[in-house]
Amino acid sequence: MVPVGAYLALSAVLFGIGLIGFLGRRNIILMLVSVEIMLNAVNVSLAAFSHLMQDPRGQILALFVIAVAAAEVGVGLGLVIALSRNRPGASVEDLTQLKW
Amino acid sequence: MAISAGQLAFYYLAAASVASAILAVTRRNPVHSALWVLALFLHVAGIFLLVGAEFLAAVQVIVYAGAILVFYLFFLMLLDLPSEAAGPRFGAHWPLGAAAGLAFAAVAWYAHGAELAPTPALTAAEDPSAGTLAAVGMVLFTRFALPFEIASLILLAAIVGAVVVARKSES
Repeated sequence: MVPVGAYLALSAVLFGIGLIGFLGRRNIILMLVSVEIMLNAVNVSLAAFSHLMQDPRGQILALFVIAVAAAEVGVGLGLVIALSRNRPGASVEDLTQLKW
Repeated sequence: MAISAGQLAFYYLAAASVASAILAVTRRNPVHSALWVLALFLHVAGIFLLVGAEFLAAVQVIVYAGAILVFYLFFLMLLDLPSEAAGPRFGAHWPLGAAAGLAFAAVAWYAHGAELAPTPALTAAEDPSAGTLAAVGMVLFTRFALPFEIASLILLAAIVGAVVVARKSES
């Protein structure tokens, strides 16, 4: 069978890709999508550890991660709507009102 | 050494999820990105099945691929897309972001390689009910009952917060 290290390597690579997307993309919605990629990477390693240790707590934790991700999407996209009402477009480089 | 079906499935799912994640991060059209993320979510659900987390795989498909992704697509349709797709995809600082992501992946890869290389391979569970809905549900509603209720409170707060943030101000 596949060693648990392979699952963790996959998780690390997915998290790195999500981090690149979050730091690199300009579109605020795609930044939130990259956060979802990172949360999925964490869920993969939680599930792998849950299987390695024969303990359902890892899966419970992953369920809570999914619940918090759903909440994050709701609030984050609500903020995007509020932002785009003031200025159209979804590029983070236009949002410099707090910069001085 | 012959490659078993489990290994073959894992390597397919891992390669497909990494490829779809890279495509999701780099596509110019945000809708294409969202659809590649859908492919990523489905492959990650397959990986959950491989590690015996059937309930987690079902939740992944229903909540992530079903609800969250449709929400993202809805918002991508709602906002102005053609002007977004025309501009540059990445900000001016994207090499820094790429360096940070690659460095994190390398460090995490190295760390698990040092610590977890000699651990036994993932084998079939001795307790066949370890990942099933019944086992997860028993733990979730006994030992983790309080965090479960707090999660529902977080979702309620997120619903109210999203409505408050996104509504049109009266003044």
